[in-house]
Amino acid sequence: MRNPWMQTGNYRTSYRQDTTIFATYSEQLSLIVLLLSLLFLPMFLSRPQMFVVDLILVYALAVVGLNITTGYAGLISIGHAAFVGVGAYTAALLAPALPFWLTVPLGGLAAAIAGGIVGIPSLRIKHLYLAIATLAFQLIFEWGVGHSTLLQQGGAIAMPRVVFAGYKVGYKNHYYFWYYVTLVVLIVLAFAFRNLLRTKYGRALVAVRDNDRAADAMGMHPGLTKIFAFALGAFYAGVAGGLYAYLSRAVVIEDYMLNVSIELLAMSIVGGLGSMVGSFLGPAFLVLLDLNMEDFANWLKALGMSLPGVDIASAMRPLTFGLVIVLFLVFEPRGLANWWRLVRNYFKNWPFKY
Amino acid sequence: MRKTLVTVMAALAASLAFGQTVHLMWSGAITGPTSDAGKYYAQGVEDYCKYANEEGLTGGLKIVCEVRDDQYNNANTQRNFEEAIERGDPVFLGYSTGGTLQLKPLIEEVGMSYIPASYHIGNIDPPNNNYVFLPIVSYSEQVIAVLEYIAKEKPGAKVALAVHPSPFGRAPVEDAKKAAKELGIEIVEVQEMSKGLDYTATLKRFANEGVEYIVYQNVAGPVATMVKDAKRLGLNIKHAGAHYAGGPDLLRLAGDAAEGFIWVTSYFMPGENTKGATFVRELGTRYKRPSDTLESVHYPSGMLAAAIAIEAIRRAHEAGKPVTGDAGREAVHQALLGLTFDPGLAVGPVTYSKSDHVGVDMLRALRAEGGKFVPITEPFQSKLFRKVHYGK
Repeated sequence: MRNPWMQTGNYRTSYRQDTTIFATYSEQLSLIVLLLSLLFLPMFLSRPQMFVVDLILVYALAVVGLNITTGYAGLISIGHAAFVGVGAYTAALLAPALPFWLTVPLGGLAAAIAGGIVGIPSLRIKHLYLAIATLAFQLIFEWGVGHSTLLQQGGAIAMPRVVFAGYKVGYKNHYYFWYYVTLVVLIVLAFAFRNLLRTKYGRALVAVRDNDRAADAMGMHPGLTKIFAFALGAFYAGVAGGLYAYLSRAVVIEDYMLNVSIELLAMSIVGGLGSMVGSFLGPAFLVLLDLNMEDFANWLKALGMSLPGVDIASAMRPLTFGLVIVLFLVFEPRGLANWWRLVRNYFKNWPFKY
Repeated sequence: MRKTLVTVMAALAASLAFGQTVHLMWSGAITGPTSDAGKYYAQGVEDYCKYANEEGLTGGLKIVCEVRDDQYNNANTQRNFEEAIERGDPVFLGYSTGGTLQLKPLIEEVGMSYIPASYHIGNIDPPNNNYVFLPIVSYSEQVIAVLEYIAKEKPGAKVALAVHPSPFGRAPVEDAKKAAKELGIEIVEVQEMSKGLDYTATLKRFANEGVEYIVYQNVAGPVATMVKDAKRLGLNIKHAGAHYAGGPDLLRLAGDAAEGFIWVTSYFMPGENTKGATFVRELGTRYKRPSDTLESVHYPSGMLAAAIAIEAIRRAHEAGKPVTGDAGREAVHQALLGLTFDPGLAVGPVTYSKSDHVGVDMLRALRAEGGKFVPITEPFQSKLFRKVHYGK
């Protein structure tokens, strides 16, 4: 019999039940507890620590977008940072005239339009060829910004301080304010996509990824689905870009270059492609890994552990970053999301083994 | 009795002040893009800091220098800057152009003086320019100084600018165009270049356009590729560049193809027989730095940035002002605004004022001869820079 609090098997008996997000009340409860603890998190963190958490949330939003395009729809994109950049520059241009709650979604909208256009080649090409097409967009974006006087040729466009419902955001509360804004946006957009996956549009993404000819035969439109995947993924990236622009107080081209696209791709691979949880775990893991490796490298340096002519301490961070990606690709291609699944399953049946 | 009490109080205050720790953070690229310059710059900061503490140049303060590798990532720079604010550091040593430009609004808001390794003029141009201080002349002034030298050597020369495809590279282009007009030389083309493996087509085009000089605002890697290609093609084109385009790094990468390269910088050359160059060599040897560090011009660059910050902290401290926290930031900023001193690391003294946020205002032109850069001018200031950039 199905116990709504504790359920060790699959007791779903209808299609409607099969499409529910949560299997048990305890799953719902654990999410509520998680969200509540996230609400109180800033009470325990300093300003620099808050900046790191904000950064993880912004990356998570961008990685959800990348996961939509690459993870769920199977369309490789190595120009995702450019979509983030489109959102950031749009927000920066509109910020003097409009409030942030308009500039950020408009940034997402501009990125979605760019995504739709970039997605057009996906009607004819796939795999590596498509990756190169998205790379071309990344390069065109960098060149375009670099040669646009409106965008300061890639130099800084300062972002104004914001006032929200009479609450003035200043230096002291900057990271705390943007934490809550980003958290709310992330939760809303993550739920929106989670729900989209339960609709025919969401299922079409996965179907086209698995076999676009079969999807076509079943009445879906693979071309439109692919463009939709690009536009939707880019929308998430654009919103992340707008938020990052406010968070960093200025928009500079260096934050939206090819290396950032690679980093985002690495985050989604480490987190687990095609997984919502992975979109959060990947950015958190890589950002925190980098911070910890920095401390470890400094510790090694302080101990004087270094070979003659080789700065081991400095090499630790890039080396670890590369190594982690390779190890995940080889030993855990499903990413951290799979570890999360295994841990969850263990506790689901606990204290029983099966 | 009162006199004795005052003396005791003063002694107590002095003993409390002695040994006070002040943190000074540098955030730059020890790994990642431009780390070929950043790693030596970091060593310069570390070594000058040790030296200042050991030789008592800190006014009795203990300066703890912390070198952070931000991997040329602006988010990392911002995080490091926030940590420095949180800890109450009075001044911050930065690095990249993008990082500095991005942080300017925050720098202005918290009132923390910021000394970058980027000499981009936008760092000290409005808005939000009250707290950024360049150690030496800007890229714009460097490139204009090169053009002034060329105009003297070859009046009416045809010049191509080869710049890095970034705000760093593009910074001096507009000023250079205006200066060229004033000098009566022609800028035929502005070519962006980075990481190219072969510049044959670009160079052939330059040759067809009658280009006589290529002026680089770039990093040494692509410059070396281009000068080697020019030599291979046997082109009669001269090469010249700003601070980050030339120097010992270029000689190492380009070998004898760099022969004749004209370079402007405010720093002394490692092998020079000057007080400043000797000091740099001695310091490097004292702290057991390898020969490549001693050969790098970025090593004294890091030293100069640290020297400026430490001198400002010392002066603020000796004036009886606090040197940490909000009040410390303001005191050190005021000290920087009136700072005039010569640490001997560059070809002129460091002079700041409220309207002048450029430290060393002088530079020299040098030419690569026999595998080293030798000075071909005395220290000078660009005549045209202020006119074309500020209109005065």
